[in-house]
Amino acid sequence: MATKVNRATAVREAPASRHSPELLLGLYRMMVKCRMCDEKARILFKQGKYAGNFYSNVGQEGGEVGGAFSLRKDDWVAPSHRDWTSCIVKGAPLKACFAQLYGKTDSPDRGKSTPAHMGYPELHIITPASTIAAQLMIGTGVAWGLKRQGKDSVVVSYCGDGATSIGWFHEALNFAGVHKLPMLYVVQNNLWAESVPLRLQTALTDLSDRAKGHGITGVSVDGNDILAVYEAATKAIARARAGQGPTVLECKTYRWYGHSEIDPAKYRMPEELAEWKKKDPIPRFEKYLADRKLLNDQIKKQVRDEITHEIDQAVEFAENSPYPAPEEALEHIWA
Amino acid sequence: MARTITFIDAINEALHQEMERDSRVCILGEDLGMGGGVFKATAGLYQKFGEERVLDSPLAEGIIIAAAIGASLVGYRPVPEIQFADFIGDAVDPILQQAAKLRYRSAGGYSCPITIRVCWGGGTGGGLYHSQENTTWFAHEPGIRVLAPSTAYDAKGMLIAAIRDENPVLFFEHKKLYRTAKSEVPEEPYTVSLDEAAVRRPGRDMTVLTYGYMASVVMEAAEEMAKRGVEAEVVDLRTLAPLDKRTIVESVRKTNRCLIVHEDTKTLGIGAELSAILNEEAFDDLDAPIMRVTGPDIPPVPFSPPLEKFFMVDKDKVMAGMEKLAGY
Ligand SMILES: Cc1ncc(C[n+]2csc(CCOP(=O)(O)OP(=O)(O)O)c2C)c(N)n1
Ligand SMILES: [Mg+2]
Repeated sequence: MATKVNRATAVREAPASRHSPELLLGLYRMMVKCRMCDEKARILFKQGKYAGNFYSNVGQEGGEVGGAFSLRKDDWVAPSHRDWTSCIVKGAPLKACFAQLYGKTDSPDRGKSTPAHMGYPELHIITPASTIAAQLMIGTGVAWGLKRQGKDSVVVSYCGDGATSIGWFHEALNFAGVHKLPMLYVVQNNLWAESVPLRLQTALTDLSDRAKGHGITGVSVDGNDILAVYEAATKAIARARAGQGPTVLECKTYRWYGHSEIDPAKYRMPEELAEWKKKDPIPRFEKYLADRKLLNDQIKKQVRDEITHEIDQAVEFAENSPYPAPEEALEHIWA
Repeated sequence: MARTITFIDAINEALHQEMERDSRVCILGEDLGMGGGVFKATAGLYQKFGEERVLDSPLAEGIIIAAAIGASLVGYRPVPEIQFADFIGDAVDPILQQAAKLRYRSAGGYSCPITIRVCWGGGTGGGLYHSQENTTWFAHEPGIRVLAPSTAYDAKGMLIAAIRDENPVLFFEHKKLYRTAKSEVPEEPYTVSLDEAAVRRPGRDMTVLTYGYMASVVMEAAEEMAKRGVEAEVVDLRTLAPLDKRTIVESVRKTNRCLIVHEDTKTLGIGAELSAILNEEAFDDLDAPIMRVTGPDIPPVPFSPPLEKFFMVDKDKVMAGMEKLAGY
């Protein structure tokens, strides 16, 4: 229905947000921090500062931040390969995150795991394997244990669209459904699994429909709308905490860069990327905040300056951290 | 006409030629179609043969192998790919319980001519989950061939032979060889025996048994040791199951000493079996205990560069092993 735009309404202020300014700016700051750290990680890799590989999350910050932002310290995160920044969301110090990239002794795993596969036991972030979807099963097991202990902690596990094809994903959902486990499965549907498009991955359009087959709640949201993700995740986490069972939260989004830093992603159409860049979650949220007079250029600059400073310090720390001694390879195999 | 090409080009050429020759050959796996494979081993196949014969599969190793097995029962000769050996876990039942046992459990009523290409091996900074070797998980199982070529020539000839073979085959391609191993390779299709080890270098003082990327490391070490007066006979196993016992035993009978070199961890690596075979069949010919230079018994391969170096067998470690055996 076409309505005439009333000049008076057009200039009226945007309606007040349901959320406090502190929360909104916190979400904003965290998205910018994840973006900037991720871009820095890519640059460092390109400069040959660390070996291995890196899987950028740029473009997907809405799901990454929104999915875990309301977690408590005693809650758990089970990340995958593209979720290095989820450690930042959960509160891991940047120094540890960058030492992780370098494989130095100040990385939480002392250089044993690969740069992007980061855990942080003190904050209940499970160091992931690279085997796709395995973290969903381990995370589900944690949720089972927590429930048995009568705790009200929850587990958030991240995965991609591709991960929903393997049996392990379904075994996890099924088990979580049977036992009404305190789980939130954040599915970052970025339309591609490496070079494989969604149409060859599944006949579904909404990956939250995967939940139906297991009798659990499934929700799909615009992953580049940080508030939509945050609200859906917060609701799911509250349900999980209250013993009402697991949720699959599909965040529809897009990864800007190649699958990893060595993938030029020639299989994608440049137009597709250009479309998605227009839907960048950060400027979109900046507009939301600016419309409500919560953000201006000065605050933006201040946020970025502070983060740049923190990143610089973290990188310097990582570079000065020593490599493990070769014989450390023998440690941590047996208890 | 032969020309010098890399290991990965040899694989690529074998796939192109077999798919041209036999319309029953089809491939499936992750990222191998439109993307041409993580290492570009399958480049150009999708463009030439289309989505019907070159399938970008969902991310699910179990169905990749199981679908290949099923298709082989109705006459296809699928060549499924496991992107990294580290991710073969989901496909273990299809490989061990289905492919390897179909012929046996049906008393020959069915056979399963599939060739599973698997990328393996460390030394490229891949870390714990892009470096593993799990050849022995499968070499332990009767009914499935386990191949691990070390040269571009063998890569092409053995892959073609594997595709034409009636048995299920696991074809392990070491990622470090993809672009470093080069040899003269005929343009036309040919086959290399799947039952024979290759003597890469004759020698009288000791036999060194090895395979995969380690074969190239051992060859370098053997040349250096020759300058120090130790002539090693280098035997490249090529086939880990079934093992070519004849060549192995004959060589050790001649040299009376044996060093086994593998990248895999030590405990229950293929070296344990080789040593047992020699104990049974060449005990009286041995002048020294059989020795091993292998990866240490730690999860392969920790990421940080000094840790990776600690894990990997290199020329120096092999030479130290050869010195020790020669001096026994
Ligand atoms: C079991 C398993 N198979 C294959 C791989 C190789 N691999 C790593 S990431 C990836 C694609 C993952 O796609 P998706 O789940 O959509 O996550 P995204 O990378 O898009 O974030 C593949 C095939 C793996 N790590 N584990
Ligand atoms: Mg994806």
